[in-house]
Amino acid sequence: MKKMKVAFFDFTCCEGCQLQVANMGESLLEVLDLIELVTFREVMSERSEQYDVAIVEGSITTSHDVERIKKIRETAKVLIAYGSCAAIGGINGMKNNFGLEEIREYVYKKDARFFDTIPTRAIHQVVKVDYAVNGCPVYVPEFVKVLKAALSGIPYRVPDYAVCVECKLNENECMYDKGITCFGPVTRAGCNSWCINNNNICYGCRGLVSNPALNGQKDILEKYAVPLPWIENKMNMYNKPRELGIDDPAKTELRKLES
Amino acid sequence: MDKFVTLNKQDLNDFIVKLSRSQPVMAPVARGCKSFVFESVDSAKAIALHYIPTILPPKKYFFPQRETLLTYNKTTPAWDPVLESRKMAIFGVHTCDLAGIQCLNMVMSASPQDNNYNARKEGITIIGLECNNYCDEYASCNVMDNHLPNGGYDLFFTELPDAFMVHVNSNAGERIVNDIGFFSAATPKHTQQLEEMRARKREIFKPEVKAGHKQLRGIFAGAFDSRQWDRIGERCVACGNCTNVCPTCYCFDVRDEINLDFNTGTRGRVWDSCQNEEFAQVAGGENFRKQRGQRQRHRYMRKFNYPVERFSRYFCTGCGRCSRACMAKINLKETIDALAEEKR
Ligand code: SF4
Ligand code: SF4
Ligand code: SF4
Ligand code: SF4
Ligand code: SF4
Repeated sequence: MKKMKVAFFDFTCCEGCQLQVANMGESLLEVLDLIELVTFREVMSERSEQYDVAIVEGSITTSHDVERIKKIRETAKVLIAYGSCAAIGGINGMKNNFGLEEIREYVYKKDARFFDTIPTRAIHQVVKVDYAVNGCPVYVPEFVKVLKAALSGIPYRVPDYAVCVECKLNENECMYDKGITCFGPVTRAGCNSWCINNNNICYGCRGLVSNPALNGQKDILEKYAVPLPWIENKMNMYNKPRELGIDDPAKTELRKLES
Repeated sequence: MDKFVTLNKQDLNDFIVKLSRSQPVMAPVARGCKSFVFESVDSAKAIALHYIPTILPPKKYFFPQRETLLTYNKTTPAWDPVLESRKMAIFGVHTCDLAGIQCLNMVMSASPQDNNYNARKEGITIIGLECNNYCDEYASCNVMDNHLPNGGYDLFFTELPDAFMVHVNSNAGERIVNDIGFFSAATPKHTQQLEEMRARKREIFKPEVKAGHKQLRGIFAGAFDSRQWDRIGERCVACGNCTNVCPTCYCFDVRDEINLDFNTGTRGRVWDSCQNEEFAQVAGGENFRKQRGQRQRHRYMRKFNYPVERFSRYFCTGCGRCSRACMAKINLKETIDALAEEKR
């Protein structure tokens, strides 16, 4: 098999997901055997304008970002939205809770006018995405799965069921039984309930399932006397860009299967 | 094969220690604040003798959450089935869970046989343990007729004041009694204590719902258009807990996983659940059970209606796991009561 040229790009993000690649250990060496890494700022200094697979981290938050991602899309045969900022808008989406002017002045103070800003969008809300790796940060075993799918040209579907499913299969004691609130019931699985396995709650970092029972979840939280504004804040944390009313990445996959 | 022996309570630890040297022993142990799981033990110290049903039922040893079905090689080409079987004893299985294993045995031996399940079953010895009292308020084992031992085990332990009465129910059970030792013949005193305990149980265990065992099927068969499903559907968050913890659910998804050499790989299966959004979705995106209420109805029908037709038995054991684990506090006993009321 001819080695595919792979390039990493980052938009608005913390680059934590790229760091996960550097943390891959053994499987990184195996993966590096299969691909030719041409651009990866996190671990190398060379850059190339030729690539087959673009792995894109971060969300779209400026008009400059929009132009840049369109160029990447034109060049790449395959585009992977990498990490929750890219796949669902992620944390950056919290910006969309405020007026653009208001938030710009809050962040940049007197220099605000020099900084262009647009509402936060996930990559698939701007250009077509072929694969998505949700997670903040990404779960490495899932990334390896997606990469294998991308390199062999078969679709990968982000699971559209709750983190609870994986959590139960792992036979963890439920956080609610310990009196702790957890977002597993409305959060999209695929991380193998990573946080709960390690005694932490699910923060909902992979985003909501496509058809969440938000009323049901609010019922649950109210029953456990968690204040509603707190819940709304938490649900906002990763999911705000959903309100822009654009498809789910899973549906992008479906479209692909149909075409 | 039908005899009773006893094991002094102070000998339980020695029994488990010695048994665990002959084969792995799985038993209920505490996990977290109020949960239990079946886990490997090498003494009785870790075992929770008085436990409420474990997060996952002992089904996981017969039909693991994830298992490999075959390995493949694209160039050879070859497909090699993987059949795993491991000798083990499961100690402390309650009567509701024995019933769950009986249900799955029927399903997995019906044609076409499930070879993976049956290979694992081959290696497993089951040691039951009686509940002298209800585990908690979610149980409905009486109405499901599973509160008393009804076969499905090699040995069955009942706790008496100073000893365990042990029913020997198979050759495998008899071999353990003979090889591991510590057992004595049951005395008339023990037999009387067992009878007294069962008499007390008759006072404690009463039908837990507003319907009798025999009426349940009719109630569900006539409930397809009940309003209850919408009401349940409004509360359900589709977390899948109710099905993933159920001892008689057996749906799975088959997934291929290629290795990084892009030549070899494995085909495995993972538990699936009818509560998951995509379970009834087919190519083209059509979803035959889009509403959570429809999915809940399906789950209940798969316990109280459809299997009666196919296997002549209810596929609910009354273990209460679904209600205990439900994020939305949807309660099986309340559902049955509401449907029974509606029917009246
Ligand atoms: S701990 Fe969280 S993810 Fe796990 S079952 Fe409970 S609510 Fe679901
Ligand atoms: S458990 Fe929740 S917060 Fe943790 S990685 Fe998975 S989706 Fe993210
Ligand atoms: S339906 Fe509920 S009570 Fe019945 S066997 Fe399944 S988990 Fe247990
Ligand atoms: S449901 Fe009945 S048989 Fe099962 S653990 Fe509870 S009391 Fe025991
Ligand atoms: S456990 Fe409860 S909330 Fe979760 S899928 Fe089942 S009925 Fe719905």
